[in-house]
Amino acid sequence: METVAKKSSAIKEFIRSIPINKIGVKDLLNFEKSPLNLFLAALTLVFLGLFVVGVLIYLLHGHHAYNVTREHPWGLLIAVYIFFVVSSTGLCIVGSLGDVFGFKDYMAISKRAIFGSIVTIVAGFAVIAFEIGHPVTMMIYNVLTPGLTSAIWWMGTLYGLYLTFMVIEFVFLLKNDMKSAKIFGLVGLLVGLAAHSNLGGVFGFLNARTISNGVFYPTYFILTAFITGVFIAYIMMGFRYKLSFSKEIQTMLNGLAKIQALLISILIFFVTWKFLTDVYGGMPNRAEVAVHILGSWTFWAEVILAMLIPLVIILASKASAYRAIFFASLSGMVGIFFMRYNLVHDTQLKPLQEMKIREYQLTPEWVHYFPSATEIMISLGGLGLCLTLYYVGTKLFSLDSDHH
Amino acid sequence: MDVGISRRRFLKGSAALTVLGGGTIGLTPLLGNEEEHHEAAAIMTKTSTKEAKLVPTLCEMCVNKCAAIARVEDGVVVKLDPNPLFPKSKNMLCPRGNAGIQALYDTDRLKRPMIRTGEKGKGEFKEVSWEEAYDAILNGTDKFPGMAKILDEEEDNRSSFLFCAGEGMAEHTFKMFYEAFGSANWLNHASICLQTVASAYGVTMGAYPQVDFENAEYVIMAGANRAEAIVTPDTMDIFKRTKGRGTKLVCVDPRFTNTAAKADKWLGIKPGTDLAFVLALTYVTLDEELYNKEYVATHFNDFELYREHILSKGYTPKWAAKITGLKESDIYEIAREFMAHAPRAIYYPGRRSTFAKNDFQLRRAMAIFQALGGGIDTKGGLVFGGKLALGEHKGVVPMYYQARERAVNKNKQNDGYDHCVVVSGGGSWIAWRNRFLENKMPYKVRGAFIYKHNPMQNMPNTEKTAQMLKKMELVVAIDTMPSDTVMYADVVLPECTYLERTDPVFSFGGVEPAIAQRNKVIEPMYDTKPLNEILYGLTKKISKPLFEITKKHDMFLQDEITASESELDENSTMTLAELSKQKEETMYADEFDLTKVFEHSQEEVNEHMVASKHGEEAVKKLKEHGIFYPNMDTYYKQLGENEFQYYPEKEKSYSVNGGAPKTPTKKIECNLANLASKGVDPMPTWRDEYNFKVPSGKFKLLTGRHAQFTQTGTSNNTALHDLMHTNYIWINEKVAKEQGIAFGDKVEVSSASGKTIIRAYPTQKIAPDTVFFIHGFGEESERLTMAYKNGGCDNAVIEDNIEPVYGAAAMHETNVEIRKV
Amino acid sequence: MANYVMVLDYKNCINCKACEIACKEENGILLGADKHRIWVGSNNPKGEWPNLDIVSASFLPSQCQQCENAPCEDVCPTHATYYDENGVVQVDSDKCILCSYCMVACPYDARYVDDRTTTVDKCTFCSDTRLARGEVTTACQNTCPTKVRTFGDIDDPDSEVSELLRTREHFSLKSNLGTKPKLFYLT
Repeated sequence: METVAKKSSAIKEFIRSIPINKIGVKDLLNFEKSPLNLFLAALTLVFLGLFVVGVLIYLLHGHHAYNVTREHPWGLLIAVYIFFVVSSTGLCIVGSLGDVFGFKDYMAISKRAIFGSIVTIVAGFAVIAFEIGHPVTMMIYNVLTPGLTSAIWWMGTLYGLYLTFMVIEFVFLLKNDMKSAKIFGLVGLLVGLAAHSNLGGVFGFLNARTISNGVFYPTYFILTAFITGVFIAYIMMGFRYKLSFSKEIQTMLNGLAKIQALLISILIFFVTWKFLTDVYGGMPNRAEVAVHILGSWTFWAEVILAMLIPLVIILASKASAYRAIFFASLSGMVGIFFMRYNLVHDTQLKPLQEMKIREYQLTPEWVHYFPSATEIMISLGGLGLCLTLYYVGTKLFSLDSDHH
Repeated sequence: MDVGISRRRFLKGSAALTVLGGGTIGLTPLLGNEEEHHEAAAIMTKTSTKEAKLVPTLCEMCVNKCAAIARVEDGVVVKLDPNPLFPKSKNMLCPRGNAGIQALYDTDRLKRPMIRTGEKGKGEFKEVSWEEAYDAILNGTDKFPGMAKILDEEEDNRSSFLFCAGEGMAEHTFKMFYEAFGSANWLNHASICLQTVASAYGVTMGAYPQVDFENAEYVIMAGANRAEAIVTPDTMDIFKRTKGRGTKLVCVDPRFTNTAAKADKWLGIKPGTDLAFVLALTYVTLDEELYNKEYVATHFNDFELYREHILSKGYTPKWAAKITGLKESDIYEIAREFMAHAPRAIYYPGRRSTFAKNDFQLRRAMAIFQALGGGIDTKGGLVFGGKLALGEHKGVVPMYYQARERAVNKNKQNDGYDHCVVVSGGGSWIAWRNRFLENKMPYKVRGAFIYKHNPMQNMPNTEKTAQMLKKMELVVAIDTMPSDTVMYADVVLPECTYLERTDPVFSFGGVEPAIAQRNKVIEPMYDTKPLNEILYGLTKKISKPLFEITKKHDMFLQDEITASESELDENSTMTLAELSKQKEETMYADEFDLTKVFEHSQEEVNEHMVASKHGEEAVKKLKEHGIFYPNMDTYYKQLGENEFQYYPEKEKSYSVNGGAPKTPTKKIECNLANLASKGVDPMPTWRDEYNFKVPSGKFKLLTGRHAQFTQTGTSNNTALHDLMHTNYIWINEKVAKEQGIAFGDKVEVSSASGKTIIRAYPTQKIAPDTVFFIHGFGEESERLTMAYKNGGCDNAVIEDNIEPVYGAAAMHETNVEIRKV
Repeated sequence: MANYVMVLDYKNCINCKACEIACKEENGILLGADKHRIWVGSNNPKGEWPNLDIVSASFLPSQCQQCENAPCEDVCPTHATYYDENGVVQVDSDKCILCSYCMVACPYDARYVDDRTTTVDKCTFCSDTRLARGEVTTACQNTCPTKVRTFGDIDDPDSEVSELLRTREHFSLKSNLGTKPKLFYLT
């Protein structure tokens, strides 16, 4: 009995010793009332409002409120979920540069990035909760009858573990226990990478969907996660320092930008080869889909916003036009959103039942999908949630690096 | 259950039912797929493992009468399964047969008798009791006159009432009412159905034959679409054997139908030119002497005359190629192949409406061509088949001296009209209607009884039909659904659906004849009744009063029932008046009591009809299994999952007439000399006016059927709407492109008759100068939730062309214009 | 214990869709465009009027192929999809979380969402209706006018399906994916 009591008091003590700022509502409203900030605050509130409305409509009408169909069962919410978890994994990678791998230059972002990774994955979970039809059932039968051959099971389970490790790592970071942070950070990173590549595997295992099938997505997901992490790191730093960076931060941003240029170059190389093999490989069900993708504006939005603009700016400025790179990163994140949307949509582009099943219909050619207002509301709500949590975090925790 | 269960109780009552309030979600399209979520409430059933009652019945979703077994759980019909015992339908139910449950539980059904309260045609009614409805028929209301008034004013001319019937097992019951009533004006569906084909085959080979597809080696199916217009057993028999599996099927159709898709060869012929095709086939057969010489020698009248006619007219394949748009070589090939396979070769007689004005000659030419191969009354050819006898159900046919005769032009041999030479028993619907509207009738027709018939939708030129129904002072409609025609009624009598009644037992002839009976599955829902009971109630109400009217106007009757002094027995205590009264009563009871026709329940009548010929065992079989034929117990065998034996091979009725035609002469009649005097070609002859031509900018309108709907009878069926939500107009893809018409665009189709709006279906499956859409859509009755204004109505556009021999409506003689709207 | 398969003499099919309604009535499937366990596919004929290609316009009845190696079963995170004792791929709606992965993974588009349970539904070979009552065939097989389908136990060498597969040439759909379908199409 005594030992139990001892243990629990030790845990209580541990929790109590986590440095958290005592804040009230007043503190939350206490920010510089610049037009940009006010705009962002208002936007965030609108997004949260939309989230509530969207969820209410969903609760009333279920999946009928979405534009998902038999042929296109995965819609915007899946894309947004992926967007968030990719962001999370990316931030985890970026955060690990300093505290796990010991790149001193990147220590300054570690805590913020790890916190960001928690916030983004929570937002991702919040969104996916309204896409999965029965999230409670999922939690029960995920444990009782685990489907070990299912990439979704691994992805979901590992992301659950990952979130736990990230929180623990973050706590040790807050407590400045760098040794423990490093251990949990490393484990968390590995679990995160495993989870994330499994998310790629969700698509990679689809034998019937040749455009997505294979090793490409599991590996590509890690690469794009890193890119996403760097974009977000830039954005967080930009907001944190209002685009006027200290020498130290500049060093980090310079390094990150160089890494980013390298990563984007590799990505372009990947994507180019994917399309070369897709199109010129001439594999049925894949070549024509790839050609179709090349003709869609969302693909070019992805390429231009997430790849070309950031790469050109970084290369042109030798990775030192930090303000420009900040804006390029914003563009990059929009591009990354399209990247996720395209991934989900393109996988389902080709109908698997290609015959007419009614006399008076057009022969199924491409599956069309455009998100419903409800889906858009919940997705923006996820973003609102993410921003809110991050903002609250900046008030609650000291996210700047303590190592100078 | 005495009273039909209400929908609410029905929905609440059964755990076996899954109820779907599909309902519309009042959100913008952005909030989900519009198309998908805007569905009317629908009920789908699910079967369970609990104990169920299985009742054998016969389907009435179309005319075929396939055998079904209804599964009833807790008083609810949850499934209709095929009944394997019936040789005609051979263990199958088509989509419509399966959707019979939705017809039964259609909440739009007519539920109670109604009488008109508003303007005629507006569909304003009030629900009344049966007694009130019968009373309104006899005595009228402030909106319409009663039968008593009309008959009295017309001095008991019973023909002042018209009787119209759609096809159905109880059509005969209704006809008995017509006969007892004493009218001479009877119009049924024949003139928009089989009139011409049946008559042409009748005068040429003595009967309208069936086919033996199970043993045929070569089949020409021209203008028939068995893959979509399902006929049992033809549909089941043929398509298992096409595609190189025993039968070569040549499909000749101006559209690429599903039958074309299942055929071994398809020829896209110009509409209305089939006659030229058959004449050319005949030419090749005669010219190359491919015909069955022995058969021709024994079974043909005027063969030489016909031979001379065909050869001298020069009906060569080259000639026909120009007219039909087909290849000369194809015609040669088909004629040679057909005759090589004869007598196991069939030129399919078809079972359809009349399309072109030359249809009578076409059918004659087909029959003669078939006979040239000898494939008549023989295995693998056309067959007459056997038929099992049934006892008679006697009616009452009083003599009404005041009743006028049928209003036709009388001549020596035939009764006809100006537009057609012959008017057969079923009448010529549109010719009658037009004469009525043009005031050409020799006496007034003021009332109409319409049973299970929807002329507002199925007669060419809807506008004229509406005028006719408006002009009728008293229209009584007996139906299950609030059809467009019912909207024009003054009194509506709701019949129960086929699953709620036992219908007259029926003998189905064929290679494997059988008797089948539609047994009541559940008690009638709501306040509906079977026709027999409706008419019993009605005649109880009207029989006596009508007799009084006859007595008033009929001098002969007065004479007969007025006693004279001489009849008074000396010892009699009766007065003269008393004796007259007695005579009158006897006369009424013996001859004028209309209730006698309907006093027995259908079950009793059936028992008598069956037992008198086949014994009590047969009655029992029909109740328990729905089907009876002699030796069924030993003959019937399930040979495999999909194979059944009904009769052993040697017991099948392939040949019942020794291979001879059934004409009185037992010969094929090549030359009908008696018709020549009336301007009808005695032998099939091509005339220039038959040439296919469409003015530029117009299209020839074709209509037809398909597997998922039966005319308008099924237009409100939710399950069938699931398979096809509306009809579309087929238009050649290239032409559509030129006119900027894309799939799903709304177009207006118009002709001299009227117009209709319909969605476009650009396709390669139709010629550039032709358009097509399915019959049975575009109803105007607001009481039909699913069918109201859904799709295009063909008869709003089809002009009233009359086939000149038998007066049938020629459905494919209309040119239309198309405009995107 | 059986190993149920279905053999389809698909050239018999006339696209009448009797099977589709029979399936819906028997199994209580909701009406609606997306809601069907089985279907008949058709193609527009190739070519231009009047030179149309008959062969290209054939009809193909289809449904869940009851794969022996079912992708839907592999990807289910909660084992809601499973093989029953008769080798039929089933969905346990209590365990289904509606992640829709199986719908994306099924190469045959054989799965859809049942609005009543908001779980994924599919063809069960009428397991809980007809077979549960001791009947020996499915609703679609029974009602078919041209008798396309034959249903039975392939483990029984005397069954009709075994005989058909021994004697008639056949193929299965998308067999290159290694799914080992148990629907066989006769040629």
